[in-house]
Formats: sequence, structure tokens, C-alpha cells
Amino acid sequence: MAIKYSELVIKHFKNPHNVGIIDNPDASATEGSPACGDQLTVYLKINSETQIIEDIKFQSYGCASNIATASIITDLAMGRNIEAAKQITWKQAADELGGLPPIKMHCSVLAVDALRSAIKNWEHKYLGKKIDDSLSKKNIVKELQKVIYGKVGVDIVSLKLLKYIGIDDKKNVLLEIAIKKDDPFLDDVKHEVNERMEKFPKIASVKISLV
Amino acid sequence: MSGKEVYLDSCKTSRLASEVLHAMMPYLTDKYWYPGSFTSIGTEIAEVIEQAQETVAHSMNAKSEEITFTSGGTDANNIAIQGILQANKEKGKHFICSTVSHPSVLAIFQGMEKRGFEGTYISANKDGYLNLDELEAAVRPDTILAAFTQVNHILGTIQNSKAIRNILDQSDHKVYLFMDSCEAYTKIPLDVEELGIDSLSISVHKFNGPKGMGILYVKKGTEIVPTQFGITRLYKLKPGAINVPGIVGTEKAVELAFTDFDKKIGRYRELQKLLYDEIMKRIPDAVLNGPPLGERSPAHLNVTFRYIEGEAIMMMLDFDNIHVETGSACSSQNLQPNYILMNTGRTHEESHGSVRFTLDRFVTKEDILKTVDALEKTAKELRRRSPLGKKEQ
Repeated sequence: MAIKYSELVIKHFKNPHNVGIIDNPDASATEGSPACGDQLTVYLKINSETQIIEDIKFQSYGCASNIATASIITDLAMGRNIEAAKQITWKQAADELGGLPPIKMHCSVLAVDALRSAIKNWEHKYLGKKIDDSLSKKNIVKELQKVIYGKVGVDIVSLKLLKYIGIDDKKNVLLEIAIKKDDPFLDDVKHEVNERMEKFPKIASVKISLV
Repeated sequence: MSGKEVYLDSCKTSRLASEVLHAMMPYLTDKYWYPGSFTSIGTEIAEVIEQAQETVAHSMNAKSEEITFTSGGTDANNIAIQGILQANKEKGKHFICSTVSHPSVLAIFQGMEKRGFEGTYISANKDGYLNLDELEAAVRPDTILAAFTQVNHILGTIQNSKAIRNILDQSDHKVYLFMDSCEAYTKIPLDVEELGIDSLSISVHKFNGPKGMGILYVKKGTEIVPTQFGITRLYKLKPGAINVPGIVGTEKAVELAFTDFDKKIGRYRELQKLLYDEIMKRIPDAVLNGPPLGERSPAHLNVTFRYIEGEAIMMMLDFDNIHVETGSACSSQNLQPNYILMNTGRTHEESHGSVRFTLDRFVTKEDILKTVDALEKTAKELRRRSPLGKKEQ
């Protein structure tokens, strides 16, 4: 089957909405890194009384679908209350674009992640909410729900590929993942998992075991 | 898409030359016959094939009987590599390949490793040249074959075949040298005798010939066994139906490529220099991948545009009907950056923003200038969107 971008992806890639920087933003967040292949920064202006996103802009170092998903996410978030904006999912973003090829689904995860992180940073700064980066199984699952298995475009938790999470006293983490050694997406999954686990500042080491 | 098509991806495939199609047409229509003896139609076709073999052999200083037409580069690679390994397995089970070889060749060796052969993969330096001291150390008493890519399809590096041959000849036993010449043939001079090549493969659709055609050269005296079995009308290594129109088209494409060969190479060099100079002059933060212009294949350029991503560049150019290739992970089938760029010391980011331009006989000066115009516009726009790099442009 031919893998192609929907017309909406092309449209948003050609003429993305809300590209740029907000000077003195109320909050911002960067997800991904050049070493991982894509990076997205989201800037927010939020009305502190209504908690409505009054302006949102993004910058993307990434491919066509990365730029397109960032464009649609910023459209969806603009003018929304932060609680509503937090509810935007990566599946919703992909649907709004008329679908994404499975191998590109991770782009919409990155876009949603950047938006949510920026909101979290705002909540931390203005509402004094704590950012929970503690090393718990629950938080690890939350992070690994953002790791997409490129062959089918679904996260490894939903696919039940994540079989076991072990955390010892010294904060070493063992993850058992059901993926074959010769799977073409193995390196990508490992790379993504390691990137996600970097979110936990207190972590000592991560070991990925294939089961 | 808009405007006249600009196609700078001959390393992937190329347009069939109209002269080639014309040459093939009679053999797709009225002259649909097979080669044979005595009958008028059989001998006519047999003579056409003989002529094609001679033309191809002459182009690389080989003998006519050393040429086999195959159904593509991969087919030729498989016949040669598997055939030589199988024929010589009593002498040893070791082969030498490299970490910067073409994936189609690596796939064969991975398959042969599962069948009991053992490989050493030698590395390359930042410009893609094989580390020959590693090759020297890799040759063992049981080494039977060394196989390399003559011109690297990602970096444009021309390997020093003579030096490789000399190293292999230091061994006290015969080590066969196979070259994947798919990107080299018609782009650099190729003399199998001078370079000491025992076997090589060529893909015809990369130089304006028909798809589904390959050329296999096997030096007379090479110990090789067939890997395919069937009715061997012409070639013991390639049984089965004979693609007469494909063979005729191959001959025509070879003839076109080698007529005024030096002039054609000179033209490639001019276009390559124009593309490189204009990119470097007009687009900041562009970095050449692979050897400098004078050293590399004349029909090949690979440039990283920093702070932006290759698939996005490729897509933007596609909107202007300009076609190139990228080493970006976003454009790969498993989301991994190109292994050749990574194995020659590029970072993920450098591989990510890499764009490859490969030329053929149809590329014009206007095409190059149109491409650089589009690249300049694309780089500016994508850098405006990017959080990386300087923002003054």
C-alpha cells in the first residue's frame, strides 16, 4: 500500500499556522532534541484570570508531518481554556489532519507532549502546581505511552508490548518489552524509550530487556 | 507540482532514454523471437544478443563471454556473491565486506552468515574511504571473497580498487574481488583488467536504460557455481526467459553513455561544480558530505543543510517538481538515520539534514539553477520555522 500524506497534512506543512516565537511568553516547553531527529518548542500566552490560551506559537526542527501536527495542535489549543487544551490527544490531532501514516504517528505525540509540557510549566509558575517527575511505575507508564511502535502507529503500552517495569532501591529501572531482536523498529523503540526515561531526573540507569 | 520536472536522483533510478525505447520497440513488437540456431529469426536474435554482449564487454575491457545479462543489480549481486562463496566453501568460509556497503549487498551477506559463512566488515573514514589497514588485517587463510561498493551511493566516494587488489594479492591464496559497480558504471572509467576485479554488478536503469536489467561480469577462470536452476539457453549462471528487448535496450544505453565518454564526464563535473558552488554561495550552514569535488564521483553530491530536516526539504522541492533524496531518519522505513552517514562519523542531526543529488544525461544547467533557487527558498523557510540555528536570515 502506498504511504502518503493526507491533503490536510500537505496543506499544514506548506502553510503552517502559528509558526514563530512569542516574546516574553507566559510559558514554553521544548520536546525532542536534534539528536533524536525532531525537536518542537511551544510558546504560550495565557490569560491568568480566564486561563484561556490567548496566543500560541511553535518552532519545529522536523519533517513535514512534524510541522503539520504542530500546526494543527496550535490551532486546536488557540482560544481554549488550559483544562480543555490538556485534553487534546495525539489521536485527535492525527484525525484532525485526516490521518497520519503509522510511521509518522510519533510526530503528533511530540506535538501534544510539547503543548502539555508548556501548560504544566505555566501551572507550575503561576499556580504553584508541583511537577511530578518522581520515579514511579505510574509515571513510567505515562511516559512510555508516548513511545510509538512505528509499524502500526500505536504506543507500546496500548499494544501491550510493555510487559514489566522493575525499579530497585538504587533507582535502576528494568523494562521488559516484547519486541523481536530482528524487528526493523527495535532500534527506534529503544531510542524512544531511552529518550522518554530521560524525563526522570532521579533515575540511575535504564535496562531494556527483550522478552 | 509545478514547472518542468527536475530529476536529480539517478542513483535511485532514471528516465528511459528515447533512443533506448526506440531500439527496444521492434523487439517488443515484430521481433518478439527467441535466439536459436539455423532459423532466420533465431539467428537474428542470437546475433543481436552477441552484439550487445560485445558492446557491454568493450565498455569495461572485459571479454564478451564474461558478461551475463541479469534481471537487475540485486540479481547480479546474488548470483556473484552466493555463487563464489558456494563454489569456494571447501577453501574457506570467510568473506570481507564493509560497513558502508549498499544495503542490497549487506542483505546477501547477512543471509550467507545464516548459512555458515563468516564475515568481517571493515570500516571507512569520514569521507567514505575504506580503512585499508583494516582490510590488510582482515584477510585470513580462509578468506575467499572481498566485496565492496566501487562508488558509494550515499557519499560519492570512489574506492581505490587497485590498492584493494594489491592487498588481497599479498595473501598466499586467491581472494576474489567483487565490486558493486552500480553507481560507478558510466560515471567513472571502469577497466576490470586494470583494477583487478574478478566480478562486478551493474544496474541498467540507473543510466537511462530499462528497468529490470542488470549486468554481471565474471572473470574467466573464476570459481563460481550457479545459484539458480532452469533451462540455460544462454547463460549458465542465469537460466530462464531471455529478456531480449531489455538486452537490446541495455546495449543502447551503454552505447549512449560511452559515446564521447570524456566529454560526458566533463559535463557532469561542470554541473556538479555549479550545484556545489551555488549552494555554498547562496545557502549558509551547508556542509559537504563525502570527498571534495575533484575526488568524488562526478555525478554525485551530498550536502547537509544544518538546522533543518531532509524529508521536509525533499517535500518542499517536490512541490516545485524537483526530485532529490535524503538520508534523514524521517524518510527511512525504520526511522533510523542513514547508516552510511552514521558509520562515517556524522551525527544524527547531520544525517537528518542531508540531501543527495545525483546526475544523469538529462540534467541541464537550468535544472541545477532551478534547484538551487528552490533550495535557497526552502532553507530560508524551514529555518524560519526551526528552533535551531541563527535567526538573522
